[in-house]
Amino acid sequence: MDTQFLVSVGLILITFGLYIGIAFYNLARKTSDFYVAGRNVPAIFNGMAIGADWMSAASFIGLAGTVMLLGYDGLAYIMGWTGGYLLLTFLLAPQLRKSGRYTVPEFIGDRYKSSTARLIAAVATIIISFTYSIGQLSGSGVVIGRLLEVDTAIGTMIGVALIAFYSAVGGMKGITWTQVAQYIVLITAYLVPVIFMSLQLTSNPIPWLSYGQIVSELQVLDVQLGISEYVVPFTEATRWQFLALMFTLMAGTAGLPHVIVRFYTVPTMKAARWSGAWALLFIGLLYLSAPAYAAFSRFILMTQVAGSSIADLPAWTTSWVNTGQLSVADQNGDGILQWAELVISRDIVVMATPEIANLGIFVVGLMAAGAMAAALSTAGGLMIAISASISQDIYYRSINPKATDRQRLLVGRWSIIIATVAAGIVALDPPGAITQIVAWAFALASGTFFPALILGVWWKRANGPGVIAGMLVGLTVTLIYIFAAQYGGFTLFGIIDTGAGVFGAASAIITIIVVSLATKPPSKETQEEVMDLRYPEEMVYRDGEVWLKESPEDTKVHK
Amino acid sequence: MKLLKKIDKKDADAYFRIRTTLVAIYLLIGFIASFGVVFFAEELSGFSVNGFPFHYFMGAQGAVLIFILLLFINAITNDHIDKKFGLDQGKKK
Repeated sequence: MDTQFLVSVGLILITFGLYIGIAFYNLARKTSDFYVAGRNVPAIFNGMAIGADWMSAASFIGLAGTVMLLGYDGLAYIMGWTGGYLLLTFLLAPQLRKSGRYTVPEFIGDRYKSSTARLIAAVATIIISFTYSIGQLSGSGVVIGRLLEVDTAIGTMIGVALIAFYSAVGGMKGITWTQVAQYIVLITAYLVPVIFMSLQLTSNPIPWLSYGQIVSELQVLDVQLGISEYVVPFTEATRWQFLALMFTLMAGTAGLPHVIVRFYTVPTMKAARWSGAWALLFIGLLYLSAPAYAAFSRFILMTQVAGSSIADLPAWTTSWVNTGQLSVADQNGDGILQWAELVISRDIVVMATPEIANLGIFVVGLMAAGAMAAALSTAGGLMIAISASISQDIYYRSINPKATDRQRLLVGRWSIIIATVAAGIVALDPPGAITQIVAWAFALASGTFFPALILGVWWKRANGPGVIAGMLVGLTVTLIYIFAAQYGGFTLFGIIDTGAGVFGAASAIITIIVVSLATKPPSKETQEEVMDLRYPEEMVYRDGEVWLKESPEDTKVHK
Repeated sequence: MKLLKKIDKKDADAYFRIRTTLVAIYLLIGFIASFGVVFFAEELSGFSVNGFPFHYFMGAQGAVLIFILLLFINAITNDHIDKKFGLDQGKKK
């Protein structure tokens, strides 16, 4: 047990004590509290909670490494994962808030007047959130395993126990305030190393202004080595794959149930718009820093590690070589490590960088605590989405409509525990890389929820048969494309598995429109409800006329 | 109990139209900043901003900053429109 181990574990324990303390303090009692935190979270804090929910192990641990290894082509992730908030905040969030439903499947079921549609949506929520959480749990397994110097599988099990415990006792209210704390921990952990590296390399403490200079120097180094240049577009993927991946990530963002549910926790439509704006500001802080991380790490590796004697490599290389994520074989036997002989996995770039840049044990420990916050906060939000789908949409609405609050809460808690353990079991031997699993979840969301929600809010003619057919077609097309591209080598326009959402969304939208037009229009009542979403919440649409709410009680309700 | 006052549907629709028009403009700007720049990445790499070739700057910083700005502009202008139409959420009238 060295000092580094003690510092890292100490920081993780302190931050976790903080999260669990907050969860206990807010111990949920009523159903409405459990799922949507009583709808009284201020926009700025809701923005932070959305940020913590959003920034998963893939963003925190994987993103900078992806940008470092893919160069310009990796920026599809940066623009895709931020641009989705435009679609979400402009086209969906305020309207869904006005509809006043608890969950996405509930909205779909009520909007399309179809319990079949609600069940399909509930099952899709479970599939998407489950897929996504496998990535989070295996990410936490890597961090815990590396820290405790135990097998990754044991690390994953510890992660499972933690997340099941505090999701089940705290509910959403616990998680909202817990996630505010997690956001602060993870953004601090992300920014401190990148600011230090900026100071070391450029003497400028503002990485966003200074890394352009490093990128120019990288271009010179690339030309000297004769490798593909860092900023040149479409060297790792085609133009169409870049565009398809960016679309998949944007549309998936607007359709992810665990993100959308956050917009139910705000008191008004106005607060929904402000929450979206604050959320993207807080998220943007990390996404603007990831390419700086990538450039600094690549520069340090190229100038300080590559070219040094193989017998004289820094100590950090040994521990990462042991995990199998880093390879430093001296292939040409000249005793010197060449850049081409250094093979680094994209998932360890962020975790290894504080060690590479020699930033000291406190920063290394902080990174571990931040990575754990990213993985577990997202897993928490996902578990709530799964639990709400099972207890509200399947159990209460379809199996036992007479269930008491207590029974529903109990079903919700047990679903969290069972889902976490099941995801943990799959995560012991994950089916793909973390970022890849996460991209599949986005593709599935853009093939199912994105079309169903957009057309549900903006096209009153969309009906039940249309959305049932559309979600099933979108789900099938997306799944088949992912499998065909991943295992069968099938591609269209050079678009690979991670860009599958573009085909899923297109086929689902076409199906919903064609089937809706071929079948009976929705009832007048349903069409009026959709019309009602056009107007601010003080206005009510009824029988072709618009009414303004004026009672003082109503004003109080919105406070 | 809800007390309702009827208002002119033309006013309500004017509200909806101005909101929808603004959102369409914001989305178009966002689309050009991301998809538009990527599509013409090679053609736009000739000049530099903040030390990067333009296409790289837009992908790493420009597009994200524009997205954030658009969301705040939307929230602010919408508050103004609400006020103009006599709506002031969360405050007593």
